[in-house]
Amino acid sequence: MISFKNVSCTFEDGAGIENATFNIEPGEFVCIIGPTGAGKTTFLKLIYMDIFPEEGTVGVDKYRSDKIKKRSIPMLRRRVGMVFQDFELLRDRSVFDNIAIPLHVQGVGMKMVKDEVENVLDRLGISDRRDHLPSQLSGGEQQIVSLARALVKDPLIILADEPTGNLDPAASLKVIELLEEINRDGTAILMATHNFSLVKDRGYRFMQIVDGEVQT
Amino acid sequence: MIDRFLYLVSEGIRSLWRTKTTALATISAIGIAASFVVFSAVVGENISGIIQIARGQYEFQVFFSEDVDNIRAAELVDQIDAIEGIKSASLITKEEAADIFQREFGENIFDLLEENPLPPGSVLKLQQPKDKRIDVNPIIKQIELVEGVDEVRYQGRLISFIERYYEGFFAAVTALAAAILFGTVILISNTIRLSIYARRDLIRILKLVGATDRFVRFPFMIEGILEGFFGSLVAAAVSYGFVEGSNYFLSLFTQYRLVWQFQIVALLVGVIVFFSFVGSMRAVRKFL
Repeated sequence: MISFKNVSCTFEDGAGIENATFNIEPGEFVCIIGPTGAGKTTFLKLIYMDIFPEEGTVGVDKYRSDKIKKRSIPMLRRRVGMVFQDFELLRDRSVFDNIAIPLHVQGVGMKMVKDEVENVLDRLGISDRRDHLPSQLSGGEQQIVSLARALVKDPLIILADEPTGNLDPAASLKVIELLEEINRDGTAILMATHNFSLVKDRGYRFMQIVDGEVQT
Repeated sequence: MIDRFLYLVSEGIRSLWRTKTTALATISAIGIAASFVVFSAVVGENISGIIQIARGQYEFQVFFSEDVDNIRAAELVDQIDAIEGIKSASLITKEEAADIFQREFGENIFDLLEENPLPPGSVLKLQQPKDKRIDVNPIIKQIELVEGVDEVRYQGRLISFIERYYEGFFAAVTALAAAILFGTVILISNTIRLSIYARRDLIRILKLVGATDRFVRFPFMIEGILEGFFGSLVAAAVSYGFVEGSNYFLSLFTQYRLVWQFQIVALLVGVIVFFSFVGSMRAVRKFL
């Protein structure tokens, strides 16, 4: 589903990844670990094709980084859910409206949007927060809303970039458990974190970035 | 498809509301500036009507040589009638000239001189091209070149005065409209630029969840078009106030009233909305 073949992508300050080759299969839960600045975000950006490799090829589903046309990138991103450390929620919109954004982008009808959003709100246990603004939620709840937004479009994979980075331990655990639950339902998860202690005994497949080298 | 369209339109309206202070300033600026164009156009259209009436009074009198008889005069009239810019040419025979003399001076020319020395002639009316200056000089020259024409008389000073100001007025209104429309494009473009800047979080999120460029741009286009539309409505209202105010002022010393013309306002709304679209397009292409 996701393949890296001899992928190199480095920056002027030396950060990035070099000559990475690996695959991620459907339904896997993969954890990328490494210190801050190791290249974990670069790794994720290569997958949703925000940046492109200097060498090698990244493949996601039927899309390949060396062949994809600019107009196809949005189609790729509709198949990939994203969760960020700082949640990336719109402050002036309710929980419901934030979660509905990917469905509107895909042209889903209003009735279907309502049903799908309510399903995901129920699934993640935040139905009672549907009309709240992000500022009225705790950090953990905001991250769950962010997760709901990623999940609502039924993605092949969810990319989670330091999803627990701004959360207290209890909220972090809650988010991790939700990611595992989503994974059990068949969605692949690729999570980047520098907090190894949080994930070390949970049976994930680990990849480590050390000096730009991806060790699987 | 319709759901997506409605969503994008609602996003455009939401965006307009979110940047309401800037939008209000833009709408007011467009409205006040464009109201001058509407008012000028309304006044121009009214003046145009007056000028057409004045032009209808333009009259050339052509006097033929003494040796031209009525038959030859009729041929000359046909010749003159064919000149470009002449709407009609009517023959004044020697006998009719004598009748005119009697009407004007109360004396019979035969009683005075025992003969009729008055030459035949012709009275000409000019064509009245709308929105175009009438230049009488080439017409006069062509008439004078016709063999048998002795003299051409016309209201030269009046015609020159009317035609000079008529042309100048329309040139000024056109230049003003062009400047305001250009200003509209820049204003809308800058407002949309600010709006894009204010909503960069939304743009980023939309792109991350798979929005196409068109999807991201559409609400900004709607926002710009709405600003233009509301601006043109303000212009319509303000210029209506101008017209009513002018009519009150005119009522103090004349029966003449400016006529409010809906077609001009409708045309202006359409033109401003179009240029708002251009301004929005400029901004989203440049800054998104």
